[in-house]
Amino acid sequence: MSNNAPQGGGLRYPSNKKTIYDRNLNRSKNAELSRAAFAYLFIEMINLAQKHAKDVGDLEKRLNNQGYPIGQRLLDLLLTRSANPLASIRPTRILTLLQFIAQTLYRHLFGRPADALERSNEDPAQYLLFDNEPIVNTYISLPREMSNLNCAAFVAGIIEGVCDHAGFATEGVTAHSVGNQDEGGKDAKGQAMWPGKTVFLIKFKKEVLEREEILGRG
Amino acid sequence: MSYYFTILSPTDTPLFTHDFGTSRSSGDGLAHFTPSDRALAPFILHSALDIVEEVQWGPSSTAGSAPMYLKHIDKYANCYISCWVTGANVRFLLLTRPRDEVLGGGGAGGGLGGQRGSLAGGRLGGGGGGVYRPDAPATEEAVKNFFVDVYESWVKTVMNPFYNAGNGDVVRSPVFRARVAAAAKKYL
Repeated sequence: MSNNAPQGGGLRYPSNKKTIYDRNLNRSKNAELSRAAFAYLFIEMINLAQKHAKDVGDLEKRLNNQGYPIGQRLLDLLLTRSANPLASIRPTRILTLLQFIAQTLYRHLFGRPADALERSNEDPAQYLLFDNEPIVNTYISLPREMSNLNCAAFVAGIIEGVCDHAGFATEGVTAHSVGNQDEGGKDAKGQAMWPGKTVFLIKFKKEVLEREEILGRG
Repeated sequence: MSYYFTILSPTDTPLFTHDFGTSRSSGDGLAHFTPSDRALAPFILHSALDIVEEVQWGPSSTAGSAPMYLKHIDKYANCYISCWVTGANVRFLLLTRPRDEVLGGGGAGGGLGGQRGSLAGGRLGGGGGGVYRPDAPATEEAVKNFFVDVYESWVKTVMNPFYNAGNGDVVRSPVFRARVAAAAKKYL
């Protein structure tokens, strides 16, 4: 604690005088995290949320809130690291944004792109992002009374953070398990080919759709 | 030539402001606004926000992404405004006030600086009457490089888990201010 802050005002610097501004943004570009370390932390996060939550919906909401600021920061970071940094572009249409999420964001978080992206037939404001096996759910087993809980609500929070801050306000992004449904003819042998299959329902607000239409008309 | 730089949140709250002058061709790096101009600058920038919101979505029917650098978007009196929008919809606005030749250059010693004005590379014609053109490619390039540098420092600021731009937290870090000033000195 013997350094004098070079600029006064009570700001303290580490002994090698390097601040966070001196670290390179691309330094952790290829960094990987062990699944066990993440699972350890994630379980504690769920415990924390569960302590204060009244029911399953509230628990999912708390996990969602924990992921939200991560999405906000990943948006800027991943745009900075995009393939051609001098081009400096940002997504302005829904499809571009969703592809950014399904490819770039997913590859950054999980090392692989998301499995499918669809637009809902019933509701034009809703988009579905499929993930056959969310990595965050690897070590989670659900008790019978909470069988409709999906801890990928955390990832849903990350997605919501990205969408909201890119200017595409969402009503909410929720995670639903669709692992045990019958595939209906596609896979006659077993329904549960992907038991942990999760769909993220992304519902955009009305204004976003209006803007999308105006931009589409040109 | 004086500059007034502001970073605004998506809800139009100013998060950071910095004014400076050009360091090129006899500039001394300090802003030379008259007190009334200096008070008017934030109003001009805020009024330009409407234009930002219109322009930021890019020319319609394009591929689906728009550039972050919006170049020169507005002009008020003799002030020019350029803008950069980050991925998270945070706006960087730069108000440029070319020095009036009439005023004779308040700070440049020797009086002859006033005639030439301080042009960021986009010099037209010799003698007095060099006009500042905000859409000259050299000027745009200079401003873009400045914005790119500030954007890098900005991403580092946002990555702080305790900093929430949505809350309207003002950026107080002297290191950030020093970085912005260094970028200004280097490119503008």
